[in-house]
Parts: sequence; C-alpha cells; structure tokens
Amino acid sequence: MEFGTSGMLNEDGIHVDMDRLKKGEVNLGTSIMAITFKDGVILGADSRTTTGAYIANRVTDKLTQVHDTIWCCRSGSAADTQAVADIVQYQLAMYGTMNGKPPTTQTAAAMFQELCYENKDRLSAGLIIAGWDERHGGQVYSIPAGGSLHKQAYSIGGSGSTYIYGYCDANWKEGMEESQAVDFVKGALQEAIKWDGSSGGVIRMVVLTKKGANRHLYLPDSDYKIRHQ
Amino acid sequence: MTSIGTGYDLSNSVFSPDGRNFQVEYAVKAVENGGTSIGIRCKDGVVLAVEKVITSKLLKPGANKRIATIDRHMGAVSSGLVPDGRHFVSRAREEASSWRKVYKSPISTSDLASRMGGYLQAYTLYSSVRPFGITAIVAGWDSEVETPVDAQVGNGPSIGSGGKAEGKKYGGPGLYMIEPSGIYWGYYGAATGKGRQTAKAELEKLDLAAGTLSLEDGVKEAARIIYVAHDDNKDKEFELEMTWISNLEGPTKGRHQEVPKELLEEAERLAKKALEGDDDDEETTDKPEDKMEE
Amino acid sequence: MNHLPQAWGRPRDDVYGPYDASYLQSSHGPNQHTQSPIVTGTSVIALKFKDGVVIAADNLASYGSLARFTDVKRLRKFADSTVVGFGGDVSDMQYLDRLLISLDTEEAYSSSGHTLNAKNLHTYLAKVFYKRRSDFNPLWNQVLVAGLDGEKKPFLASADLLGTTFTSPSLATGFGAHLAQPLLRKVAPDEEAAAKLTREQAIEAVKESMKVLFYRDARSLDKYSIAVVTKDGIDLKEDEQLEKQSWAFAEGIRGYGTQVN
Repeated sequence: MEFGTSGMLNEDGIHVDMDRLKKGEVNLGTSIMAITFKDGVILGADSRTTTGAYIANRVTDKLTQVHDTIWCCRSGSAADTQAVADIVQYQLAMYGTMNGKPPTTQTAAAMFQELCYENKDRLSAGLIIAGWDERHGGQVYSIPAGGSLHKQAYSIGGSGSTYIYGYCDANWKEGMEESQAVDFVKGALQEAIKWDGSSGGVIRMVVLTKKGANRHLYLPDSDYKIRHQ
Repeated sequence: MTSIGTGYDLSNSVFSPDGRNFQVEYAVKAVENGGTSIGIRCKDGVVLAVEKVITSKLLKPGANKRIATIDRHMGAVSSGLVPDGRHFVSRAREEASSWRKVYKSPISTSDLASRMGGYLQAYTLYSSVRPFGITAIVAGWDSEVETPVDAQVGNGPSIGSGGKAEGKKYGGPGLYMIEPSGIYWGYYGAATGKGRQTAKAELEKLDLAAGTLSLEDGVKEAARIIYVAHDDNKDKEFELEMTWISNLEGPTKGRHQEVPKELLEEAERLAKKALEGDDDDEETTDKPEDKMEE
Repeated sequence: MNHLPQAWGRPRDDVYGPYDASYLQSSHGPNQHTQSPIVTGTSVIALKFKDGVVIAADNLASYGSLARFTDVKRLRKFADSTVVGFGGDVSDMQYLDRLLISLDTEEAYSSSGHTLNAKNLHTYLAKVFYKRRSDFNPLWNQVLVAGLDGEKKPFLASADLLGTTFTSPSLATGFGAHLAQPLLRKVAPDEEAAAKLTREQAIEAVKESMKVLFYRDARSLDKYSIAVVTKDGIDLKEDEQLEKQSWAFAEGIRGYGTQVN
C-alpha cells in the first residue's frame, strides 16, 4: 500500500495503522487486549500475521515480555514493534540492575511512549502495556499510533478490536476473579477472530500477578475450550 | 599536617603511601570553615536551615539565597565554597530533569543522592580537577500516594488497581548528606559546616529516629540549632534561611518552599529566647575548639 | 525551469539530463515529519466574565471517527492560576503538558515568589508553536489559555499549530468556532459586555454551548470538563455530564415531508 499524501485519515479512521505500513511490510493484522482484574492483569492476543491477504505466520506470539511482570501486546508493523520492545526490554533490565529495584509499569509505559512519540514519523506501532508491581498492582496503558499514553481499566487494540467495542463495553466488570477475567478475554478475542479477516489462529494469554507470569493457550480446533498451556 | 612537604597533597588522584587523598581532606577543611547547614527529617516533612554569614553590610538582606530548589519536591543546601555549591545545584537540577524526561515521574531523594554521590566522587579521580569544596544536604519528599505519570490521561479502574502487596508503605521524607569524597548517607538529622559538632549534639538530643517530631516543631528546632551553633562564631553577623517540604496534606503539599515569614520569625524569636536562657548558666565555659592542625 | 525546492542549486535537467537520485544519501528527498494528528480532541470553548474566565472541553479523544478514549481530561492547570484547554493531537498535548511542568519547575528555582501568569504562558506557548511550525514539525494543537494577566484582569487568548494568536472576550476552537462562537458572542459581543457578565451567566452560556456542540459535532461527547479561573484560584470539574438536553421533540417529527403517521 502506498503512503497517502492528503494528510487526512481514511474516512472510517480505523485503518490508520495499516495504511502507515511501508511497502510489503509484515503487518500484525491483529486483535490484542489487556485487562485489569482482582489480582493483577491479563494480556491476550490472536496469532495471525499477514502480508496483504497471505498469512505469513499462523502461530505468532504477540505477547512480549519486557521485564519479569511487565509485558506488552504488539500491533502494527511487526518489525517496528519488535524493535521498540527490544529497546525497552534492555532499558528496563538496566533500570532493574542500576536502581536495585524492579521498574514499575508506568516506568515501562513512559519508556515506550518516549520511543513511540519521538519517532512517530517512522513507526507504525499500536501497543498495550500491561504489568504488575508490588506498589501499584495490575495496570494497563495504551499507546496508540501517534504516541499518546492512556491509562485504562482495560484496553483493546488492532484491526480486530473495532468489532468488539460493543462486546467489551457490555460485558466488562471491574474487579473480576481470575477465571471470570480469562473468560472475558477469551470471549472477546473469539468474536474479534470471527469477524476480522486479519485476526485468527490460536488465542494466547498471559496472567500477571504477584505470583509472576502465567501463560495460557487455546486452540481453534477445540473451539478455544481446552487450555493447552 | 604530615602531608605538607611530602608532595602527595599537591595532585588530586594521587594517593599518599598510607592510602589517603589529601586533596579530598583539604576540601573537607573548606567545608569546616563554611556557615552551618542542617537538615531535619520529621514525620510529616523535612526542614533545611543554613547560617548565612554576612560578608558585607552592603549586601541586601534576604538576597542571595543559599538553599536551592532541585525539583518541585526537593531542595539542597551546602556548606563550604559557595560557587561549588551553586555548581552542585545546577548539576542536581539537570539530573532531576533528565530523570523526568526518561521516566516521566519525579526522581526519588535516594536516587538523586546516589547520582550526585557518583558525580562528586568522579572529581576525586582526575588530576585535571579538584574535589568539591562543599558538603551538601539534600532533602525531599517522595510521594506517599500513587502518582500518575507526568501528563497522564485516563484513570484505570474506578475501584483502583488489583493485586497490590498488602501493608507496605511507600514514599515519605528523605534526607541525605553528600561529602567531598562523594560518600553519602541517609540521615535522620544532618549537620555540616563550622558549627556542625554543636549542631549534631543538639540533633542527637531530639531522638529523630523515633519519627515523632512534627514538621512545625522541626522548623523551630532547626532555627534554635542554627542559633546555638552560631554561638561559637559570635563576632560575625548572620541571617537564618530555612525551607521545608511537607507531605501532601501539609502546608507545602509535597513541594519545596521557603518557610513562611511569620513562622520563620516566630522560630527565630523562640531560638533567641532559648539562647538567652542558656547563656545564664554557661556564659563563662570555654567551648572546646575542634582543631585538627598539627 | 523547475522551481521546486528539491531542484534548488542542482544542475538543470534540460542541460545536463535528469539527476540520478541514487547518489542521494537518503532516497526519499527532503526530511519529512508526520503531518497529521491521529488521536484527537475536539473543540475547546471559553468566555470571559467580570471576575475571570470560564473554559470547557469534552472528555473525548477520537481515533478518526472512533470514540476511542472517553476519559481524557483536556483542561490542564498551570501554577494553580491558569488553565490551558487543548484541542487537536493528544500526544502533542501530553508533550506540551510536560513542557509546562518543566517550565513550572524552573520557575520554582528562583524563590522570588513570581509566577508566570496566563498572559506570559500564552506568549510562551505561541513561541513554541511558531518554532515548531518553522521546523516543519508542528505541534498539532489549537489551545485556549484562560487566566489573569499582569494587572489581575481576566485574560483569554488562543494559539495554534502555526503560531497564530488572537484574543477576544469569547473564543472557541475547532467545531466550536463555527457552532459555539456565535452563541458566546451574543452573550458577550465586546469586552464591556463581558465585564458585566456574572460568573453564573458565563457558566450558563458555556454549558449551553457545550450542549449545542454535543448535538451537532459528530466527534463530541456528553461528558466534559469545565473550569472557572478567578483571582481566588481555579475551580476545575472534570466529570461533568450534559444536563437538560432536548430530544423529546423527535416525537413530532414523522417522515420527511408529507407523511403524517
């Protein structure tokens, strides 16, 4: 796809991320989300990566660890978001060793934002940062294209997210139990995968609490019912 | 001094055979001649006070402040060479603002002390520089509540975040003293400059470790201690300069500010009164001089 | 002749043949920055009255037509004496907010007790905007600065991504410039009229304008922030809900012309 020159958003305004891709670039078509719950946060994502209509990877892992209990969901350009996540992972490791205490989620979010904002002309990245730390518990921050930073109770992102705004708004509850929260994420991602051609494959989740990071995996051939990891 | 004539004191970054850096020790001498500075860590805030010796009657009273703001929530004072103190402040401000640029939140008092400790230490390593002729006291209040990222938009769940570790306390008052060698420690009460020994003795009487002294009482004690410590130096006139940082509920709302005029004057009045009382019983006692020369 | 800046100082094509761009260090010609806002806030409106200024903006940040974030507070306090209302790109708003935090910190370095007033702040912001547009890297905002000037008189002025500034007893950005400004001008056509307005009258006029904006601006929200700035400080409310809307008349509307049922 060519860069637009009009300086205007597309009329539907939603596919900004996709239009910002460079020629032939691998796109995380994507449905991603992260939510807060009673004991921490849960990140969730589909596993489809596309170049145009071709599925370049059907088992992608879009949930990326940047510190022990700070992770992010990546959408937009795979190359750009991997590069950004790698830089922040390095910076957080430095922070942890130099200050003798683990970084907080907002520290990570601030670092992500600085990179996304200062390089907005060159990046196509839509990130959700979710983490748990002793002082603040579970927190979710969203960094959409352009590089603004938004604290949220839960956040959804990627092209598939537009199909589940209604589902999430109607079913969202604050302070859910873990099992209830996992069901919420799974239910939302199932809908996104169903309606968005650029999302698909397996559902991956990471649960972040004081006990650390815990991965979940659900497969389409068992209708996402059985936990495989 | 044993160092004189040996040559080991002439260059920074050169040890004497018995493992001393004489340039650092001479820097400490410069500090010992400076006006007394103190800091008191109270339960709901921190106080800084300095005995500003008046070097000329032609100077405007109250001008040329000696206590500086490092960041909104942090201040510093130093004893020793005033220009070195100014450079210390300027570097500390850079550290605080670069921290904010990277982390989008205020630097903690301990982190600033650590950075400045590292900075001063570097000035003991090179022959092209000399150590700082100051000992600085840094005071700050680290937010006791969760603070948003600078310029945050959005709030997260209305019930607050889940999964926090129970029963832990965060933030509070911070007080650090950094010496010419780059060494720094956290203190309940800190004193440096000419009257430090008297001041330290007075600070020890306050039982600051108990953490019960209120900020307002701390201001009054600080004023009194500066006056008591000045007693050794009676022939010189001085001005008392004081700043404070309270908790978020307190009078400064977590910001570093000058102690208001009324409270400062009240504290000075009480200090003078306390001093007059003292003078009655120990007018003639000789003060022990802390000479270290040979 | 080619007058485009890219051709300045280069050998003429008609004499020397076209320039071989592969010799360029960068293949994409001159430096380009992103030149469009992405996550955006809509109108900001404000009105002076006898003791100060009322300013309001809704709590929505849009992503194109998507109502993406519904809790974005676009009125920002400065030094407990000035409010800046931001329209346009939210990431640039956050950048400017941090710039103002550092400005406030630097002000506190000198303990003169002097703080920057709204007029000073507006001048500063306008210069930042103008510098950035001259670097071809504009901050994509239009802002209203509300507070008091050096004489403690109500102050209201606008600055935008080009560095353009103006002032008036009432101001509105974006859609508000079309829909709210005429309503506010009716209440305060000039400075004399504004100086007679009471606080209550001004708040009423601003709330009424927010309602019209919600009816007619497709990028607006019924949750909003409103601030009143006076000598006594800032009264900022960030979770207001539009009240007394008028929709019931829809019942009387049937068909689109001749239909009666």
